[in-house]
Amino acid sequence: MLPVVVVHGGAGHIPKDRAELSCAGVREAARGGYAVFKTGGSAMDAVVEAVTIMENNPAYNAGRGSVLNVKGGVEMDALVMDGRTLASGAVSAVRRVANPIQLARMVMEKTSHLCLTAEGASQFARAMGVPEVEEESLITDYSRMRWKKNLHPDANPVESQMGKMGTVGAVAVDAEGNVACATSTGGMINKMEGRVGDTPCVGCGGYADNQTGAVSPTGHGEAIMKVTLSRLILFHMEQGKSPEEASDMALTYMKERVSGLGGVVVVDPKGTWAARFSSLQMSWAAAQQGQLHYGLYHGEDFTEPI
Amino acid sequence: MKPVMVVHGGAWAIPDAFAEASVAGVKAAARAGNAVLKIGGSALDAVEAAVRIMEDDPVFDAGHGAVLNTDGEVELDAIIMEGKTLAAGAVSSVRNIANPVSLARAVMEKTPHVMLTDRGANQFAESIGISMLPTDALVTEEERREWEHCKKYVVGVKELFNSQWGHDTVGAVALDSMGNVACATSTGGIRNKMVGRVGDSPIIGSGGYADNKSGAVSCTGHGESILKVTLARLILFHMDQGRTASEAAEHSLQYMGERVQGGGGVIVVSPTGDWTATFTTERMAWAAVDEDVLSYGLNPKDKFTETVN
Repeated sequence: MLPVVVVHGGAGHIPKDRAELSCAGVREAARGGYAVFKTGGSAMDAVVEAVTIMENNPAYNAGRGSVLNVKGGVEMDALVMDGRTLASGAVSAVRRVANPIQLARMVMEKTSHLCLTAEGASQFARAMGVPEVEEESLITDYSRMRWKKNLHPDANPVESQMGKMGTVGAVAVDAEGNVACATSTGGMINKMEGRVGDTPCVGCGGYADNQTGAVSPTGHGEAIMKVTLSRLILFHMEQGKSPEEASDMALTYMKERVSGLGGVVVVDPKGTWAARFSSLQMSWAAAQQGQLHYGLYHGEDFTEPI
Repeated sequence: MKPVMVVHGGAWAIPDAFAEASVAGVKAAARAGNAVLKIGGSALDAVEAAVRIMEDDPVFDAGHGAVLNTDGEVELDAIIMEGKTLAAGAVSSVRNIANPVSLARAVMEKTPHVMLTDRGANQFAESIGISMLPTDALVTEEERREWEHCKKYVVGVKELFNSQWGHDTVGAVALDSMGNVACATSTGGIRNKMVGRVGDSPIIGSGGYADNKSGAVSCTGHGESILKVTLARLILFHMDQGRTASEAAEHSLQYMGERVQGGGGVIVVSPTGDWTATFTTERMAWAAVDEDVLSYGLNPKDKFTETVN
């Protein structure tokens, strides 16, 4: 059953032409994460690799391809967590870095802190020698078109965000049974400057604990925060629920209590995994025992050899 | 429903020199919060009122009197949450604002978001007419001296936290007569923190959580440890499973000590009015009002009482 890596490319409703790109991208990311195990990499190495691949892919709302805030700028959030020690690193509202997920990992490994925000995160990136990229290099024609469309006074950014959320994330268990999670996002389309969503908040945008499992969610950030979705799923698993049961219970609760939709990828330390969502679609892929599983709509589980 | 108000002024090795002022500060805050509840005010109004009093009190590390970051500046974090709808508002690394808890409440009530950070939080404050203070207005002479002393030594945050150095996040939880619970937490963070460091306080489920179905919690202590165990949410999960407020708090703080070697303190109130103030640090200044009795303490096992009137 071990090792395993499961990734998602965001929950929502994706237009058909974008859906194909999104499905191809998650398969590539799952393969990339899985390949890390071959060279002796840890669960943490695998999730960071998988998310880096998706940040570099303009099909997703993370890294290059991030949605724009109301002022037309890119501010990104990311989180990693290591289930062995509960060590965690996060950045919020960071600008002009290509791979926020790698910066989040540096916060975990090179500072005594857990989360750095905005300008402070940029200062830290400079101190670590992380190259500063032009903001323009993170922006795509598609993200700019959607930003302009949503500047109209009658546009509803929350509604349109439900149309394509595109946060990316990964969870993994390595051969030693260590779990890890990673999540990265450009946030909500036309968000206020400085808006921080669920992604960089431990327990909301991800959680990993070797005693229970690991979770990476996507969906309506404010709803995920209100129910601390990742931690909630793991609490259900502590009570004996399977990853799939725990995910469905928590997603149903989020829908009923705060009217929020979303999706999650989950693993337990034995390698049992789930990719579940309450939105119309979620692009996901999982790599385990030489097989690649993937899907987009409810009930789908296509397989092919890795 | 009988209203309950509980506040804390931070869990750490509070030096004797600050002891009296800290206890006086939490008592004043608990009284202020209780006064709101007595006239039928909501739990949300009560926790905001109590935390504002402590933000304005320079003895606490929140608002006026906050600690300085490595650049010698004040950056503030705060959260507020109400248990009926799970609505929440938070700000992180905001500057030049006297009462971050009220700004957090404005994020909750006037934006579609839960959290705003850094410059964006300040821009929002300006847009709704919250005035910006001059940069030094929140800095006390005492803190400037401590910070200069601290800058001379290179010490990690955990060493800092475990020593006598200041760390006194403030917080409040309340239950109102309608059965609604709420929490609020506000802090200047850890002295000499990196610019942009965000601790547990503004993170939902870590620095605080409120749910009418289980209760409300506000946390203080080593922020990075609190985040790793999502302390506020953990306590409420234990209460969901039938533990009392005090059992859940003790159990969770013990877990935090064992799993990530972190110390801290919490205040908790359940929807039926069961409350606790529990800590694993040397001291925590706390005060509570329950049925017109004001209780307060500083050292482990302290529980002094007096009537509110």
